[in-house]
Amino acid sequence: MSELASHSTDYSVIESEPPEVMGRNLRVGAHLWSSATAFFFVAFLFTYFYLRSLNNHGLWHPKGVKPPVTLGTLIAIAVAVSAIASLAAARRLRAGDRGAFRSLGLVALALGIAAIVLQIVVFSTVGFGPTDGAYASVFLAWSGFYMVFVAGTMYWLEVLLATSFRYRSQVASEPGEASGDPDRMGDDIARPLSLQSPGADAFAFTWGVLAGIGVLTWIILYLI
Amino acid sequence: MKLRRLIGFNLLTAVILGVIGFYVGWWLGTLFKGPSIDYLGDTQQNDVSLFIGYFTGVLGFLVGLGFANYPVQRMLGKPASLRAKETEGKARYFGLCTDHKVVGIQYLIGIGAFIFIGGLNAMLIRYELITPNQHAWNGNNYLTLVGLHGTMMMGMMTSGILGPFANYLVPIMIGARRMAFPRIEALTFWLLMAAGAILMTAIAFGGFPTGWTGYAPLIDQANMGVDAYIAFFAIVGLSMCLLGLNMVATVITMRAPGMTWGRLPIFVWGQFSTAILMLLAPPVLISTLLMVMLDRTAQTGFFNDQIGGSSYLYENLFWFFGHPEVYILALPGMGILLEILPVFTRKPLWGYKLAVSGLMGIALLSWLVWQHHLFMSGINADLRPFYMLSTELISLPTGFIFICALGTLWAGRIRLTSPMLFCLAWLFNFLIGGLSGVFLSDVPSDVTTHGSFFSMAHFHYTIMGALLFSFFGGIYFWLPKMTGIKLNERLAKAHFWVMFIAFNSTFGPLLVIGFLGMPRRAVTYAGYLQGANTWVSVSAFFLGGSMLIFLFNFVWSLVFVREPAGDNPWNSKSIEWQLPSPVPVHNFDRIPTFGPDPYPYGHAGSDAIPPRPAVAPTRHTQ
Amino acid sequence: MSSSAAAGNRRTHALRIAALTVIATAIALPLVIFVLGPNMPPGKDTTAGVSQVFDNTVLLVVMTPFTMFILIFILYTVLAFRVRPGDDDQRDGAPIRGHMPSQIAWLATTTAAVLFLAIFGSAELLASNGSGGGEGPKPIAKPSGSAFQVQVIGQQWEFTYRYPSYGGVETAQLVLPVGQEIEFHVTSLDAVHSFWAYELGVKADANPGVDNVAFVKVKKQGTFQIRCAELCGLWHGYMFDTGRVVSQSQFATWIAGQQKTFAGSQQYLPKYSLTYTPDPQDRAG
Repeated sequence: MSELASHSTDYSVIESEPPEVMGRNLRVGAHLWSSATAFFFVAFLFTYFYLRSLNNHGLWHPKGVKPPVTLGTLIAIAVAVSAIASLAAARRLRAGDRGAFRSLGLVALALGIAAIVLQIVVFSTVGFGPTDGAYASVFLAWSGFYMVFVAGTMYWLEVLLATSFRYRSQVASEPGEASGDPDRMGDDIARPLSLQSPGADAFAFTWGVLAGIGVLTWIILYLI
Repeated sequence: MKLRRLIGFNLLTAVILGVIGFYVGWWLGTLFKGPSIDYLGDTQQNDVSLFIGYFTGVLGFLVGLGFANYPVQRMLGKPASLRAKETEGKARYFGLCTDHKVVGIQYLIGIGAFIFIGGLNAMLIRYELITPNQHAWNGNNYLTLVGLHGTMMMGMMTSGILGPFANYLVPIMIGARRMAFPRIEALTFWLLMAAGAILMTAIAFGGFPTGWTGYAPLIDQANMGVDAYIAFFAIVGLSMCLLGLNMVATVITMRAPGMTWGRLPIFVWGQFSTAILMLLAPPVLISTLLMVMLDRTAQTGFFNDQIGGSSYLYENLFWFFGHPEVYILALPGMGILLEILPVFTRKPLWGYKLAVSGLMGIALLSWLVWQHHLFMSGINADLRPFYMLSTELISLPTGFIFICALGTLWAGRIRLTSPMLFCLAWLFNFLIGGLSGVFLSDVPSDVTTHGSFFSMAHFHYTIMGALLFSFFGGIYFWLPKMTGIKLNERLAKAHFWVMFIAFNSTFGPLLVIGFLGMPRRAVTYAGYLQGANTWVSVSAFFLGGSMLIFLFNFVWSLVFVREPAGDNPWNSKSIEWQLPSPVPVHNFDRIPTFGPDPYPYGHAGSDAIPPRPAVAPTRHTQ
Repeated sequence: MSSSAAAGNRRTHALRIAALTVIATAIALPLVIFVLGPNMPPGKDTTAGVSQVFDNTVLLVVMTPFTMFILIFILYTVLAFRVRPGDDDQRDGAPIRGHMPSQIAWLATTTAAVLFLAIFGSAELLASNGSGGGEGPKPIAKPSGSAFQVQVIGQQWEFTYRYPSYGGVETAQLVLPVGQEIEFHVTSLDAVHSFWAYELGVKADANPGVDNVAFVKVKKQGTFQIRCAELCGLWHGYMFDTGRVVSQSQFATWIAGQQKTFAGSQQYLPKYSLTYTPDPQDRAG
């Protein structure tokens, strides 16, 4: 019989997982997710420059197709400031200041949502449509899908803030509390609230990369 | 079955909510009206509703399985947790289960079922090609069969080894209890199943004429059935990306003490190198498919040259994903090959570092070759010598894999069990596949072979001859560990011989037929090729028949005979074989500490060298 | 078995494998060079065909020794090192983890082969004016001097052909004069097609709005198969044709006949151009 494992279900033998494991996973996962996100937008980057160089039938960027530069710049600013606020928030949390984390986090969340709202305004007031040349198609698709990513990342921020608010007067939660199962097995996370800081770091990294992509998007779609 | 379980979050709820979600989405789609989304314009087809319907259908399906529970709890501020795992019962296999071993077996059955359907499509295609004239299927049905076969196989086989085998084995081989993200792991499986169901609905919407490569602008022009293809591939792409993310994160973070990078089993290196590609290539595909979706619904101009777009854009974007994709198919099989050879030659893996450089080298170079699919398309002629060089170069790391396999065979004590036979066949088939690839990579030679059955035989040799053979080798090798039950070895060998002979009899002549001028995906062909095509079709039917031998063995051994396999029927020294069969829920009582030698074979005359790991019983992870 | 005896045993096996490889290669190479090579598709009736056949022969020659070695090695080891029935199949094999000289030799020979093939392929491509493959609108490997231009228009699901030097007459048949450099201009009106003239050794994709140029010179009169080599929709399987190569005078007669036949309908066709835009588009601005 194996000396490494048995079919016993005596979970007093099995230690619960230290939070460092999940913290590591969050950090590595954030890096990997960001690289996948970057590749998603690389496709649009390639599309922009390739169609621009081909300029089929001279219809890359016909006259009269003008992007709303003011609105676009506001969006870029909102996204960038939100990312900076998130990085600051994560740093405050690492230092132990949960209140500052919540305040800065709320600012970041508000700015992120503002960016999405502004983008909707752009889509409803822009003076051209998808059929007005290849640039127009790239513009609408790229900005649109970017906002989908922003929305998902804001969800992540909301989750971090909600947990922080719920436990603002508590030091720690019981393991297994989130799963709602009081008979949870021994391999749940010990001290799950200590995952807030690694989570915030991972979020800030992801949002920072996405904001960087946003600024690049702004430069390519609006400025060039 | 308890009533609560029946009305809880399970597959039944998922299907119901999925169907409801589809109809809700369809209705939402009918609300979209606008100058460029006048979907009922001149084609009278409603792509907007179909796409939205598929999207909400998949959402409903996932909600029904219970995937929304944790995200909603997190939104309400509850802290992170590993979901409590049910420890027993067959019901785990029919819903959301975060046990990586359950997910592995779910993948095996799920992918197996869809591959079976894809294989049936292939039989129907070959039935048509018995005669040069169209006699079996009308034009649309034939092209739909071709498209369904290719698309289903590509979508399913990319996760064909990572899904079943890597999910099951990688945590065990690195000494972990779980993957890095167990819920995401379960999600990738159910996304794949939802995608498979969506692809089958293509038939209901008229099929699709584009084949698995979906070239624009034909895909813009095609009828509604192609929306199923687009949705399928986008969802599969997401599933692949998340599976890759999970696998890379797991290998990076979850290794037990003593398991350094230089001690990883080569199987893990194979899946790791694949997972990097799986993480980075599918996002480009998803992006491309979203552009196609917009072209079809919002009349954007990405691939329509009359509005400033270009068909070349699609070809470049698709193949930028498409080439790493085929190495995603090839690499895991190499991992299985090099992992199984030491067991049945009772020698260490020869040239471990060379093998690792081979795997990672292939992964790296696969990004630099994609334009060899575009050699005849009229791309900038200056680029072709570069891509010819890069494509030829990729045969170098592939050669490393070969020499390591040959070195492992050298002076071994070889047991020709069924897994070993499948591995040897891998070597033979990939040799032919790889050599035919050299022809295709050479531009003058490619002038005749591009788009012909030579090209098709090349990739069937590499994807089916190598990958599928290593898939079966893996099943025969590891199913005793996963289920505790041995498959019948004589039936396994019968399966092997029929499959191997039929496979080469099918695709060997196709190499010649391609060179003789038969283009791909065409329902008619020149009369002088009839004899050869009939031979190929009959061989293909035998090839399909060999799968029935496997299926019979599978059901017979697992359901009726149920002969216990014991913990280590192959006498392997790898860690998973030092655990009970099947592996207990928690994998290890205590996380092991690994010794320095991944392949402690080769001490002639003695089996006294302990299998890995060297267990330090008092060491805990704190 | 003592380790030096075992090593000696292995040396014998190695020498046997080497010998078998050399013998097999010695038998295969002449067959490849003199029997298989010259009969490789697509045949030697055109310049493109000749270069492809030569190229394929060189590829086969380079591949042969590697193939023989690998196949013989696998077969030999499986037969020689197999555990015989009755023998203890739990005993381990030799603890060989690698062998630097072998690894270096393998790396060196495969690298040399690959680099040679890449350079040779590029040189052959340039020397044969693109070897019949489509080179895009700005080909780099082209014949010096002028060539006879023929436009191939692919559309769902028919190829048509226009001859610019004959007033842009559009014909349903492809007829070419023998012994002349031909410059194909391949384009499409709708989806992506591919013009594959098998015996000519020509293949060029037809993309909408793109002019794809391929060169060939045909040395023999006769007929050749044309098939569409890129899936283009419902009747892709029926998009095939037969072309003819005839003498200069026969061609002149034929084209004059075509011009007369289509004189009436010529006025309804767009003027000859390298690409066509089927519907007028004026979407933006």
